[in-house]
Amino acid sequence: MEGNAAGLWKDWKLHVLVLAIVCVTELIGQHSISVGVGIILLLPMLYAVIIGIAVYFTPLVTKKQSEKAETLVYITLTLLIAKFGVQAGPALPQLIEAGPALILQEIGNLGTILIALPVAILLGLKRESIGMTHSIGREPNLALITDKFGLSSPEGRGVMSMYIFGTVFGSIFLGLISGFLATATPLHPYSFAMATGVGSGSMAAASLGPLVAAFPDMADTITAFSGASNLLTSVTGLYASIFIGLPLTEKLYKVLTKRKNYSEPEIEMESTIVITEEVKEESKTKVVK
Amino acid sequence: MLKNIQEWVLLFVIVSFMVIIGNWIGYDVMPLEALPGILALASISFLGLIIHRVIPYKGIPSIAYIGILAFILSMPAVPGSEKIVEWTGKVNLLAIATPILAYAGISIGRSWTDFAKLGWKTVIVGMFVLLGTFLGSAIVAEIILRMQGII
Repeated sequence: MEGNAAGLWKDWKLHVLVLAIVCVTELIGQHSISVGVGIILLLPMLYAVIIGIAVYFTPLVTKKQSEKAETLVYITLTLLIAKFGVQAGPALPQLIEAGPALILQEIGNLGTILIALPVAILLGLKRESIGMTHSIGREPNLALITDKFGLSSPEGRGVMSMYIFGTVFGSIFLGLISGFLATATPLHPYSFAMATGVGSGSMAAASLGPLVAAFPDMADTITAFSGASNLLTSVTGLYASIFIGLPLTEKLYKVLTKRKNYSEPEIEMESTIVITEEVKEESKTKVVK
Repeated sequence: MLKNIQEWVLLFVIVSFMVIIGNWIGYDVMPLEALPGILALASISFLGLIIHRVIPYKGIPSIAYIGILAFILSMPAVPGSEKIVEWTGKVNLLAIATPILAYAGISIGRSWTDFAKLGWKTVIVGMFVLLGTFLGSAIVAEIILRMQGII
């Protein structure tokens, strides 16, 4: 990705626009809304992503600039990664102490399968649900599913729609719920800090922000844990999907659809394409047997 | 390579400037006070990109080099680490996150039409996907941290 940096700095219109967004959003500042027992934190970065999407639809931004912005996300993200790192160094003893939790929480990323797959099946989704729920569907997972099923397969359509959903809504959604969950649930902010390593830089930033803002006295340790978790996920994430996430999703899909087919067969009618796909699958397995 | 390096430096100058301004407006840190910190962060990032470029094995992402480099340079045993920690402490994390998400927003705009076409089922499942990974990790971390008595 660093390869496309050519001439990006020259696009002063884009940079001035982003600078303007930064100034406006920082001037608006941080606000919070109480929702029941928890707090939803509205941070400048949240306004920034929404304003960013909005200005794309004004004549101020061209499609080409929007493509350039992607590389700049990456460049700016490196500063955040460096910030993660320098917070982690002094926290080395805490990181070692919390090592087991940091490593094992990676397994928690599979929680997405356990929670989201049943929901998808309940809503009547078929094999798309495998692509959608085997992971949070970022670039490496898009590549994995494409490689295994092809992008035009139901699984491929599933991961693609999740990719689009996450791209547009991921940081906004996590930015809203992270502060709320950390204040409303009995779970410790440290645990949520470790959970921010979801496998996407901007989602990590969006979910970490409210934690740092809500617990300023723990900010250093929270950032260190978040940084370590992000680093771990960036290295292990794809392998966890290949060896655990995807096989587990397929297995659970089989178990859940078997039970469901007995109780609610009418849902089968929803998509004819998917049915033929399933029939093919079944006949294949029969031949093998 | 040389051309790329020039481009990187210029881009780092631009985004560092934004971070410093945001840091000033939002978190009341004077730009001069934050300057050494942002220079340190940008230099680390820049070095990480170069290391990634120079090493022929590309299996490790450049952000891993950046993270590890920053980590090593700020360990208490490393000479000068306390300076780096002190300087970078003046650069608020949230001030770095705002320009990231502003650029991200502009880049996301392109996907908006595709997003609008997604069915309501995808949106619901999508929220559970994000909630699942976030809450799942937090619960596992909580259990282990409690077992160890850290929290």
